[in-house]
Amino acid sequence: MESRFTETHQKLSEDGHESECDKIVKLLDLMIDGEASTEEQSYFNTHIEECVPCFESHQKQKLLKGLVSGHLKRVIVPESLALSIKARIQETV
Amino acid sequence: MSEQTGKQLSKEEKDARFEAELLPVLDPLYNFAYRLTLDEDDANDLVQETYLKAYRFFDYFEQGTNAKAWLFRILKNSFINEFRKKSKQPAKVDYSEVEGYYNSDDVEGEGGVASTTDMRTESVQDLIGDEVASALNALPVDFRTVIILCDLEGFTYEEMAKILDIPIGTVRSRLHRARNSLKEKLEKYAKSMGYNS
Ligand SMILES: [Zn+2]
Repeated sequence: MESRFTETHQKLSEDGHESECDKIVKLLDLMIDGEASTEEQSYFNTHIEECVPCFESHQKQKLLKGLVSGHLKRVIVPESLALSIKARIQETV
Repeated sequence: MSEQTGKQLSKEEKDARFEAELLPVLDPLYNFAYRLTLDEDDANDLVQETYLKAYRFFDYFEQGTNAKAWLFRILKNSFINEFRKKSKQPAKVDYSEVEGYYNSDDVEGEGGVASTTDMRTESVQDLIGDEVASALNALPVDFRTVIILCDLEGFTYEEMAKILDIPIGTVRSRLHRARNSLKEKLEKYAKSMGYNS
């Protein structure tokens, strides 16, 4: 519990406000999912050109998404499934 | 016993339209069902149930709107309302299977390295895919769901909010937490395989 407090505490800069990097972390998902607004995108891109840790976080987040979209195998639909759906629908009045 | 058809389609017309618009979603829908239930038979039942429900409500489906999101929503509701209760077991991982496979395959020994480059690349791809699958399967179903919808099926946050009946803000925070736990599980794997993460 104590460590959780510390963690939260460290996220705030000394004056108690969010640092730029904290804001960037919050935009990571929006960026990799193509959901960020034009403003958010340019804010983000400007920052990661200057900040190595945030640049690396972005790379990692993209990698993670790529692991799911590119490596997770799709299961093959049994051939009988479409047929039985059609058959059951035809029976339905 | 007549269905309430507002649009007065004949049964044949209705069936043809239904098949043309909704059956193309079968593949992603079955994959989604499989990732939820982690069982092929259960996925089969869930998908059939989804299509039958969709058929009953087909008159209320607006042509040209997002058929995929609509079916995913029906399937997810069926899963929650009926399926989860009668499912054989709480969807759990088959970690042991994967681990057993790695251990028995003599990954550390030199014996496994003797294959050709092509085969090696291919099997590395397989290993990654298997590991991503088991890491994903080990997540709570709500986490698994948002990752599948977003990363595998490419739904937007707005579509996900509709499919899951939750606000977009909840989609975002759930996705964020889901990715953090997936990352954690995959990092553990990377370390166990001797990679520096
Ligand atoms: Zn930064």
